[in-house]
Amino acid sequence: MPEPPHDGLLTDLGRRLVSSSLTDAAIQKATEATPNLALLPWVNVVKIGGQSIMDRGRSAVWPLVDEIVANLSRHKMILGTGAGTRARHVYSLAIDLGLPVGVLTVLGTAVAWQNAQMLQYLLAKHGIAFLEPEGFNSLPHYLMERGAVICQGMPPYKLWESNPTVGRIPPERTDTGCFLIAEVFGARKMIYVKDEDGLFTADPKKDPTAVHIPRISVQELLARDLNDLVVERAVLNLMLNARNIREIQFVNGLKPGQLTAALDGEPVGTIIYKDGGPRTGPPTPPDNPGPPAGLRS
Amino acid sequence: MDKQVIARTESPVRAILPNLNVVQIGGLSIMDRGHTSVLPLLDEIVANQDRHTQVIGVGPGVRARHILSVGLDLGLPTGALATLAAKSSAQNAYMVSCLLASHGFVYLEAPFIVQLLPAMLAAARGAVFNGIPPYDLWEHPPEIGKLPPHGSDAGAYLVGEVFGARTVILLKDVDGLYTADPKTDPNATFIPDISAADLLAKQLPTLPIEPAVLHLLTRAKLVKSVRIVNGLVAGNLTRALDGEPVGTFIHH
Repeated sequence: MPEPPHDGLLTDLGRRLVSSSLTDAAIQKATEATPNLALLPWVNVVKIGGQSIMDRGRSAVWPLVDEIVANLSRHKMILGTGAGTRARHVYSLAIDLGLPVGVLTVLGTAVAWQNAQMLQYLLAKHGIAFLEPEGFNSLPHYLMERGAVICQGMPPYKLWESNPTVGRIPPERTDTGCFLIAEVFGARKMIYVKDEDGLFTADPKKDPTAVHIPRISVQELLARDLNDLVVERAVLNLMLNARNIREIQFVNGLKPGQLTAALDGEPVGTIIYKDGGPRTGPPTPPDNPGPPAGLRS
Repeated sequence: MDKQVIARTESPVRAILPNLNVVQIGGLSIMDRGHTSVLPLLDEIVANQDRHTQVIGVGPGVRARHILSVGLDLGLPTGALATLAAKSSAQNAYMVSCLLASHGFVYLEAPFIVQLLPAMLAAARGAVFNGIPPYDLWEHPPEIGKLPPHGSDAGAYLVGEVFGARTVILLKDVDGLYTADPKTDPNATFIPDISAADLLAKQLPTLPIEPAVLHLLTRAKLVKSVRIVNGLVAGNLTRALDGEPVGTFIHH
């Protein structure tokens, strides 16, 4: 049993946090036992690919926007955007100029921002807002009132992005940013909308013998050490440590109905899941209650 | 992205501000002790102003520990804890900037570091920033437990790395790194110089530096070392700025 706080201000854990080094593994382990509250357990994070969807223009984006609108009354969505071709260009130019990873991150963020802004123009008439990271405190309100919000997918690390193990490309880009949004809010689903039916044994655009993988554990996927992945490697590493998000799904946004199917819980595309039990026993809300009934539109 | 494509991007990086020195003032170790510790140190920063361009990062401290404890008790996720703790170091950084204001130092929030640091250093005589990086809700869930892994040591290091700073100096209340905690173990011996990889391999039970910095150092492009220095000892900062072997030198 935990001892009662001796001064009425701090819990037992609190007293240890104040008096010990945070690098002490025993202190870190003690924090493991605290509950994992899912802040927005009914929200779905949907990442719209940059190169795979946005760069294709009207033929890909308009039908997907229609599908998003059709789901607004049934599913709450945080819509994050990827970067794409312009990011590839600005990365190559900035690398040529000798600029560091943090600067490339600032530049890449601007491209994801452009895509988010374009998506917001297309969804404007449905009252969908575009929130910058600084505006995320208003996110629950917009989700309740309008059913969705748009954000740019890059995490707000900017100059503080860490170097990759190999090369000069920022390792944590829009797949990672969207995953971390889903993780921190304890989202119902993390869905990546790209231009493939999910994960293959090789890049299906280059290799005709590539075989579709409908479901795979993150541990097995990392062990396979594929040359090309459907998702940023950082997402797979973060999944191992995640507390709330236990699986992520990849669907083909060029095929009408796949996003809807994923939102409805169907196993379309590819699901990457974390093997093993939950890290702690979180007080999971009973069977995803959804938003309060009175606020459902 | 294809592994080969990523590998082909390997090439030299240019230092944007090669004369910059990043000096990190510990929260619990220095700030929370109040004027007896803080004011002599700030005097030493000012005394070095003419010879060394300094940007001062400041750590959180006991208030961050307190809000982490309340936040953990409420069940908040790591990203929420990081957002909350960052406000404690922002308070400390703001206090330091007020104390250095008459010497021309300015307080810069993260967006202003991105846009204005070079201009501010040309116009002002130094800058103070929040040591905790602006990861906020996007902070990584750690391997063990729920504490945010990127604190003010990591944030100060990353500012140094991105600008290609001359030095990154972490001011603490210990002389550097020991084989054990010198506060509790009399047999602890001092380590003046060690590589980040060797230090990680030692798996010491506690460290006077965030392990995140050691991982960052193994991937360093420009700032390939940091120095942990006792900021409570007069003259140590000056020696570190002058490149003398004070404290513990942790390198790539």
